Amino acid sequence: MNPDKIIRYSIWIYLAIFFAYLLGPLIIMSATAFNSPGFPRMTPWECLTFDWFGALFRDERILNGIWNSVLVGIGTVIMSVSMGLAGALMLTQIWPKLRATYYTIIIAPILIPGVVLGISTLVFWDRINRMLGLGADSFLSNGLFLTIIGQSTFIASYCMLVLVARLQRYDMTLTEAALDLGATHAQAFRKVLMPFMFPAIASAGVLAFLASFENYNTTTFTFGEYPTLTIELAQKVRYGITPAISALAFMIVALTVFFALVNEANIKRKALIAEARKDATVGELAGKVEVPGFLSRNPAAIALIVLLIGTATVVGSAMAYSPDQCIAGVQEQKRLETERRIQELRDQRAKDAAEKSQQEGGAETQSTPKPSNNSGFGSVFAPGTLEGSDSDAGDAAPTDSGGNNSGFGNVFDPNALQNDDN
Amino acid sequence: MPGFLKEFFNRNGTLMGSIMLGLVLFWVIGLIILPQLSMLDFSFRPNLPPPEIGGPKDVYTLENYKYLIYGPEGGSQDYNAVDLAVFYRTLVAAVLVTLFNLAFCYPIAYYLGQTKGNHIRIFALMLIIPYWINEILRAFALRIIFGETGVFNTLLVGSGIFDTPFDFIRNDVALYAGLGYAYILLMIFPIYNVIESLDHNQIEAARDLGAPWWRIHWRVVIPYAKPGISSGCTMVFMLSAGALAAPQILGGPSSLWFTQLIYQQFNDNSDWPQGAAYAIVLLVTCILLVLAVMRLFKVNMGDIGK
Repeated sequence: MNPDKIIRYSIWIYLAIFFAYLLGPLIIMSATAFNSPGFPRMTPWECLTFDWFGALFRDERILNGIWNSVLVGIGTVIMSVSMGLAGALMLTQIWPKLRATYYTIIIAPILIPGVVLGISTLVFWDRINRMLGLGADSFLSNGLFLTIIGQSTFIASYCMLVLVARLQRYDMTLTEAALDLGATHAQAFRKVLMPFMFPAIASAGVLAFLASFENYNTTTFTFGEYPTLTIELAQKVRYGITPAISALAFMIVALTVFFALVNEANIKRKALIAEARKDATVGELAGKVEVPGFLSRNPAAIALIVLLIGTATVVGSAMAYSPDQCIAGVQEQKRLETERRIQELRDQRAKDAAEKSQQEGGAETQSTPKPSNNSGFGSVFAPGTLEGSDSDAGDAAPTDSGGNNSGFGNVFDPNALQNDDN
Repeated sequence: MPGFLKEFFNRNGTLMGSIMLGLVLFWVIGLIILPQLSMLDFSFRPNLPPPEIGGPKDVYTLENYKYLIYGPEGGSQDYNAVDLAVFYRTLVAAVLVTLFNLAFCYPIAYYLGQTKGNHIRIFALMLIIPYWINEILRAFALRIIFGETGVFNTLLVGSGIFDTPFDFIRNDVALYAGLGYAYILLMIFPIYNVIESLDHNQIEAARDLGAPWWRIHWRVVIPYAKPGISSGCTMVFMLSAGALAAPQILGGPSSLWFTQLIYQQFNDNSDWPQGAAYAIVLLVTCILLVLAVMRLFKVNMGDIGK
């Protein structure tokens, strides 16, 4: 094998490992949402179930958390996009001498640990609150307000970076031209700068919302009476995990993939249109691009359609499918398994007891089966049991046909399976 | 009104200028500078019940910082061994996570930056998607995998490598994997951005002149990618040293992260000044460490975030 081939193979192996590390956990987590055991796991696979989605939607705290997250997200988007835009504009105008310092200050919140930001927000506004002589229930100590403020501190920096990148390509003379033609500053801003900046503002807004939605470190100090979804999730995950969380994660993953594909397909479509426009005459534009252009060279669009069909199939089958029977079957199997284990354990114990007593003195064993009766089973193999304890013997007969109170009989009964299936 | 302010208002108009100035001042002073100063000030004060704040007992003290080093007064030990050990381990682990991420992400950043083709966009999409998933859920995913009945243990026990399930969580394997996992993208993107702008002809030239592949990287690509590498490393280090979610969810019961100590001071002990002091110590140490490393490798602060 020549070295070139080795390098190529090792690149592919590396890529496979990399994406397995990156995507594997998400895929496995999503899969656990459809498995029936109460603890999220892949193996052993028991039953396909959609119940965890129902459990998720019945959870008041999760729903409340989503609502709070949306409120906080909207506030944060408004605050941080406007502050980021102002900060970016200021960066282009500020004194050159001050620029480096200013840039360091507004970029610093990205690097400051979120915990520190949360604490400083809490401490600072608590102090302002006290200075103004307001009570503990004032607006300034409101969890919603504090969370929005705390998150905006660093999310505005992200927005600023996104906006500055676009602003650098803006021709300042455009604004000047508008002003010369008699526009007011506000008009020039609204009609010239804003339309140019709109794509960057939109992506900054999306970025801000996502960053706010998934923030934990800062929010955990400031949320007060308004626990966001992330906070609720963290509490659930720390104090007992259920596949309902996997179900939520699966939905978030699906939504993310969906929007990513929509975005990708859109970009691709625009690129195709632009390409077609380059070498097409005006007359043939419409016919050439539309239908074939959407699918033929657009893998993202195809993936999107596959995803939609898949979702529809899953939702459709979820309506019709009921995992009850399967779950009952698995439970039955588990019960039998447990009983078998108990039986084995008891056999073992009885054997031990028998050996022990034989060692202690063979003669006494026969006459003293009683002491081991407490375990409920040890004495079965002692020959004197049936005569000695009437109650055990009396129970034994009915048990075999019906219940499993005595816990040993019906495992080996050929009728047991049929009985329980009924 | 000073000259530069007048010029500023002339250029932006009074209304737009004051809105802009107001927003920037609110952000820079009200949200960034004052809260940090306020926390610094707070960390030098004793822990008092609300009515006594501002009273005669509210004096500056070094007590909170002393506590980190010497422990409670009259304690049995000379030093606060527990907290210091946690602090030390947090920093060392954060450095290790950063180095691991750098080694793990550099090749893919290089590959994505220098390869042309349609599949690159798909790879980029696959990189971004995990980053949009909630931090808590990502940690949760790893917990499912590393749990006692998780995929890894099923595989290891099933294939007979281990007899009993290996406790990944207690041994901190899950924690390090989770921290590395959480910040992969922040390492890849800065490096990718820089390498993408590297002219492929430079690499070709080096190859034509007979350099082996590792020397091409060592002498051409890495020096060129230095700003990206440093900003990626800085972000990953700061964020993993300041991480709270991953240690809370993936950390073993016996291994604390320094941020968890801060969290405990705030929420369980209600000792805000103590927590603020710990936060300051963490912040200052991390910044000093980053600055020292940047000085060592001769990188500018201005390159961060590009």
